[in-house]
Amino acid sequence: MELARPSKKTNSVGVQVEDTQICVVMVGLPARGKSLIAQKAQRYLRWLSIDAKVFNVGNYRRHDTPQPTAEFFDTTNVEGERMRRLAAEAAVKDMVAWFKKGGLIGILDATNSSKERRRWIKDAMDAHGIETLYVESKCDDEDLIMSNIREVKTTSPDYVGQDPEEAAKDFRNRIRNYEKVYETIDDEESDLTYLKIMDVGKQVIINRIQDYLQSRVVYYLMNLHIRPRSIWLSRHGESMYNLGGQIGGDADLSERGHEYARRLPELVRKSVGDDRPLTVWTSTLKRTIQTARFLPEHYNQLQWKALDELDSGVCDGMTYAEIKEAYPEDFAARDDDKYNYRYRGGESYRDVVIRLEPIIMELERSEDILIVTHQAVLRCIYAYFMKKDQRESPWLNVPLHTLIKLTPRAYGTLEEFTSSGISAVSTWRGKGSVAKHEEPLSQGNSLGSAGDGGS
Amino acid sequence: MDEARSGLVAVPAGSQELLFEEWKFRPELADTFTSEGSANPVGTDRSTAEIAANSPRYRRRSSTFIDGVHDVPDETNSPMAPAQLYSTMSGRLFHSGRIAIVLVGLPARGKTHISVSLSRYLQWLGVKTRVFHLGDYRRATMGPGVEVPDDYFFINASAASVMIRQKILKKCREDIYAWLNHENGQVAIYDAVNPLANGRRALAKEFARHDVQFVGMDPNEAAKLYLKRIDMKIPYFETMTESDLNFIKMINAGERISYNNVSFGYLSHRIVFYLMNLHIKSRRTFFARAGTSREQDSYKNDAHLSEEGNEYAKNMSETLLEHRKAEREALIASGGSDAPLKPLIVWTSTRKRTVETAKYLEELGYKVRQRSQMSQLNPGVCEKLSENAIRRLYPEEIALHEQDPYHHRYPRAESYHDLAVRLEPIILELEREQSDLLIVAHESVLRVLYGYLMACDAMSIPTLKFPRNEIIEILPASYQNEAKRIKIPGVAPALIPGSPEDIRIPVPPSGFVSPLSGMGTPAMLSGIATPVDSPSSSHFKDTPAPVRLAELAAHQAATASEKPKPDRKPENPLSRD
Repeated sequence: MELARPSKKTNSVGVQVEDTQICVVMVGLPARGKSLIAQKAQRYLRWLSIDAKVFNVGNYRRHDTPQPTAEFFDTTNVEGERMRRLAAEAAVKDMVAWFKKGGLIGILDATNSSKERRRWIKDAMDAHGIETLYVESKCDDEDLIMSNIREVKTTSPDYVGQDPEEAAKDFRNRIRNYEKVYETIDDEESDLTYLKIMDVGKQVIINRIQDYLQSRVVYYLMNLHIRPRSIWLSRHGESMYNLGGQIGGDADLSERGHEYARRLPELVRKSVGDDRPLTVWTSTLKRTIQTARFLPEHYNQLQWKALDELDSGVCDGMTYAEIKEAYPEDFAARDDDKYNYRYRGGESYRDVVIRLEPIIMELERSEDILIVTHQAVLRCIYAYFMKKDQRESPWLNVPLHTLIKLTPRAYGTLEEFTSSGISAVSTWRGKGSVAKHEEPLSQGNSLGSAGDGGS
Repeated sequence: MDEARSGLVAVPAGSQELLFEEWKFRPELADTFTSEGSANPVGTDRSTAEIAANSPRYRRRSSTFIDGVHDVPDETNSPMAPAQLYSTMSGRLFHSGRIAIVLVGLPARGKTHISVSLSRYLQWLGVKTRVFHLGDYRRATMGPGVEVPDDYFFINASAASVMIRQKILKKCREDIYAWLNHENGQVAIYDAVNPLANGRRALAKEFARHDVQFVGMDPNEAAKLYLKRIDMKIPYFETMTESDLNFIKMINAGERISYNNVSFGYLSHRIVFYLMNLHIKSRRTFFARAGTSREQDSYKNDAHLSEEGNEYAKNMSETLLEHRKAEREALIASGGSDAPLKPLIVWTSTRKRTVETAKYLEELGYKVRQRSQMSQLNPGVCEKLSENAIRRLYPEEIALHEQDPYHHRYPRAESYHDLAVRLEPIILELEREQSDLLIVAHESVLRVLYGYLMACDAMSIPTLKFPRNEIIEILPASYQNEAKRIKIPGVAPALIPGSPEDIRIPVPPSGFVSPLSGMGTPAMLSGIATPVDSPSSSHFKDTPAPVRLAELAAHQAATASEKPKPDRKPENPLSRD
């Protein structure tokens, strides 16, 4: 996954970071959400164009011992201990090599449960001038731990094809083995830079932050939680501008758009369930507010300016044909690097990502949310959750009149699409193709395919 | 979702520098006060404390008066704060509701410094924030020179002392509630000692009744010995451990931060993020321009310094070093500490001009770091166009620019607002840096950074001036940072002028009326507030004003004949410096 770098041609500047390199060392017992945190941090940083990579020690170990039993993790098992040590060494070695090639934030995902192991990592990183930041997730809530095991761990690669109940039992035993030797980060290690999150963020200790980039990583991690939840996404219903092939503007819904608005509560109820409280976010533009207006009253509704559509500046209200006519060079430049291209007097996708940062933070903090917004904004949010490449995300086809459900899990985000069955015009346009909206190459749930839309 | 949230936030351990700094009088402000057109001009021998003390009906209408943090204007169609991303109907951002930040900590732990810094940062983001220093109310109630009774801070104080205490507290809290409930305030920072757990719980309840979230902030326990004397005055102090309240605790000046999160929202986490980067050591920031370049420089064409440019770099560096040396000697002479100077670090952008300007200092062994975010405002299509050409080609853009020079973007260009958002990481790093800092950058970048440090309102930022023959020095102070200008002798007049290089079409006073006449800017902002009397530059000349950064473009234009002409070719006044 290559990051799209801003160029002079696209006239854009993104979030740029200092030359510090950080090894983020996860610390914590199994089933404390370490992998989830590591994966999320990587996704978030890459979304902001900061090069980050997770090194999962478990994967190195799995290479040699694909499906170990609990005995393997018994600390008195000398062979098991030796294998885990080798796996950690291999992961650290690969990480250092990756830093040498210019990586910025490497995340070492393992239990790193002893003071000795943590000190060893620090010494290894110090030798290469790489900073270490320890992130401990500490949780003693049995219910949370067990729900994490059932929800996440039994789907882990260690237990592929095994009976879930057996798997859960084995996992419980594995945790006990770790608990015997687990050493939490305490005052003896007060010289380390660390973030200690207790009980899923109820209490937090932040120690010796050395620079801005570290503070930024810590800031993001503070906002995470590991409670299960889903996020629903929908574009507004078809608008009058969509009918005319115009982009931007603040138009009303079309007849079919209104029909979608009326159908939406039922779609949502089926997907969400009756009893789950839901918060609805819309933009401040008429078409999203109109789309959300029939949703049940007990849903809390919020309007965010930050969810407004990508600002197409001087091209606002024009059709693609008109834009190509009036600004042929811009039209070509945008096709060439859509992520970085900024409309005259308007925004680029990169700009949208920057303004969406508070939204992403708030999303991470919140539980079930339905977002009714616009194509470009939805692409950016979707790209964040689905780890889409910056060169690819601006071309995703996001069909109108479709409800998307995203459920973040430790090993990726699950997606689910529900079409309302109400037809609508296409607002998608292929890269380098004719200057008008066309039918997407693959129909239906085609977020993953290449294509271009309204803005 | 303006739901009730309240919380306490605790503040860090104290540093000597902040001790008793609060009421230091700053003469350069006197002029700003009078230029506000106040009916009651402030004489040069009166401090804000005295003003407060002499107003029996003292009421905090604005923080600007006290701590220089510029108020965010109220009107819904008014300009936004420098780095504000969006606005809302309620005026409250980030769907965070209203928050009261209650400081907890013994005197001299830097509570006031933290309050003011935090307020400056939040206002910069567009969050309406105001600090309520209880000390102001105490002084105003007691009257000038009158001390509180000896037992004032004691738990078992006499009935009379308790009465006074209640009266002062009531006045302050009434102001807080009035501001939150009727003036659209979002974050109220209550700067007081709040030593007892019981009192804090009661306060949280009281705020909850007003639908306000409570966040506590508590300083560390490692009080230095010399502070004992002050602590004696407030003998009862319980550090925050209330697990049912929101609080943030800063230990050893932020070396360790811990927090108890009952109902933190986006904004509370953002505050923790800021506090992670804040320290309370006193250090100076210097701003200098880059030298001039050899030939036809432009945004795209990154040119080397010219002969004069190199000469300027040397001259500027020597002036700065000389100044630092002289300041230290003056301090020693007046009986101050003879500690060695703080190390000096230089930040430049990645443009050759700024890097080469720092070369002289680098060769002397000073650390120089390049920051890619600090590259100048992108001029977009205006690059290399003369003002006339821009006027001819983009008449509508000119009209839009004149309406809002801060937010307007020329085609393909960045606005100052874009630049401010881009510079936010730099601002947090600026707070983080502990050494003295020299920033060599393009004028557009200096404007935005200065605008943050001096809490200017957004509209004045595009007109701030940084002529090449001056180094700006920002001195931190508890209530309001102070800006000084250091003259660089012997700079050829041709090099001095502000920035004919910028896209800065002279903007006539656009009729924007700052409700507070930009007191955050230690400059002649009266020009903006009252366009009528600004062109007469007489009072500019008379003022010994140390800083005069925000002169209006119109004013500049009017007095252009007095100033040395740029030696650039007239057809290319917009190339970058």
